[in-house]
Amino acid sequence: MIEFQHVFKSFGRSRNILADVNFHIEPGEFIFVSGPSGAGKSTLLKLVGGLEPPSRGSVTVNGHRIDRLPARARPYLRRTVGLILQDAHLLFDRTAFDNVLLPLNVTGLDRGTAATRARAAMEKVGLRGKEDLRPIEMSGGEQQRLAIARAIVGRPTILIADEPTANLDHDSAVHIMDVFRDFNQVGVTTLIASHDTALMGHYAQRTLHIDGGRFNDLAGVPA
Amino acid sequence: MNRWLRHHRYALRVALHRLRLHPFSSLANIVVIALMLTVPILGAAVLESSQPLARQLAVTPELTLFLAPQTSAADQQTLLARIQKESGDHVAKARLLPRDQAMAQLRADPAWAQALDALPDNPLPDAIVVTLRDSASPAQDAASLTQTWQQWPGVAHVQMDSEWVRRLESLLSFVRMGLGLLAIAVAVVVLATVFNTVRLQALTQREEIAVARLVGATESFVRRPFLYLGALTGLAASGVAVLLARAALVPLNAILGHFAHSYGIEWVIHLPAVPDLVLWGALIIILGAVAARLSVTRHTQF
Repeated sequence: MIEFQHVFKSFGRSRNILADVNFHIEPGEFIFVSGPSGAGKSTLLKLVGGLEPPSRGSVTVNGHRIDRLPARARPYLRRTVGLILQDAHLLFDRTAFDNVLLPLNVTGLDRGTAATRARAAMEKVGLRGKEDLRPIEMSGGEQQRLAIARAIVGRPTILIADEPTANLDHDSAVHIMDVFRDFNQVGVTTLIASHDTALMGHYAQRTLHIDGGRFNDLAGVPA
Repeated sequence: MNRWLRHHRYALRVALHRLRLHPFSSLANIVVIALMLTVPILGAAVLESSQPLARQLAVTPELTLFLAPQTSAADQQTLLARIQKESGDHVAKARLLPRDQAMAQLRADPAWAQALDALPDNPLPDAIVVTLRDSASPAQDAASLTQTWQQWPGVAHVQMDSEWVRRLESLLSFVRMGLGLLAIAVAVVVLATVFNTVRLQALTQREEIAVARLVGATESFVRRPFLYLGALTGLAASGVAVLLARAALVPLNAILGHFAHSYGIEWVIHLPAVPDLVLWGALIIILGAVAARLSVTRHTQF
């Protein structure tokens, strides 16, 4: 469950990126976050992922108030949220497999189980056989899928993706969206921010529209 | 427990990987610290090897009491008895050396014989030669007895034949203090070098740290590989320093051996005992980890 109540977010003395945002997302929903560039989509996703605290208001994720969560507890919440940011944030000095293993190393999972789960995650996103490649040797679409594999390997209950299909051709974009849909179908709450309204309309159950920090919950209305 | 061990194994692996990624700068840091460590190790080796030498030389320190010219034979015997009675605890042997006997001994030396012939009379005073017992601080005992006997009537002058032993002991105290100061300097160098290494590593690994945090890494998880990096640098530097010191002792001992032999002394410089070296190594490892902790806390706040 994700809940925003009167959430404001600003950085320093700048204007509010988010202003009085309220919404509630039930477990297992597939949400499309839409809005023009600079509207606050990425900020909203970072708040859900616990990467940023709200300036005002309350953000509740999986029963935890992020605005009240001590800094030392945030990493544990982050492990329940799979994050795919605009920049894939891959480690280029490691193999694709080691990139996917990282979240499991963080939790201290034993090596055998971790390797099995990492392989399964790579297979799920269609990267089987590319374990030993380094990200630099992979295409943009493959890098994006690698980031997804890393996000899902920890079996998160919430999956967040910021522009996951940007710079991808249509077929690659559809393949990636299919992966998100598969996870959503097994109960993973999915939030995707994108400009591609046509593609999102095909998958999302509900749209949250942001413009100029203001927010519109188009409940039940596909994009 | 298993999870804890896995976290540490992972941190160690990452630290070794990072050291391997920049082999030349890692090696340069290790060599800088090792060179700084070699100096106090050698100093300690010289100090420890010198202490038995000082004791060996001080086994038979002698004091000579030159008596006043008018002292009668009876008074000389009284003085001899007083020495035994009042300072018997420190005295191994005391004997009277009459001036004629002393002159005869001098004349026996051909170097002196001709010079003594030129003298109209025997200028030597009667003397009592006292051999002291071995003790933990022979030079101190000798100094104290000299001061006491100097006050006695009939004693013109007391000559301490072991004066140079006291000088050697003073020199060793000076070296000991110098080593203490050097140890502080080494600690500062270790702290500064590891601090800077970890600072550079933290900047290079910025992306990796950000990604680790993104996927739920705690601050301990982020810091741990850096602590291992500091500790490993300390460990490697300690090992290299011992090897360097050992290598340096080979030519040093060859030179000192000849020098000491000319004085009839056997003197070989050994490295400090293995438990001492292990203890120092452990301290350097801890120091490396502490420096890394300070640096990583300061340089990963982003």
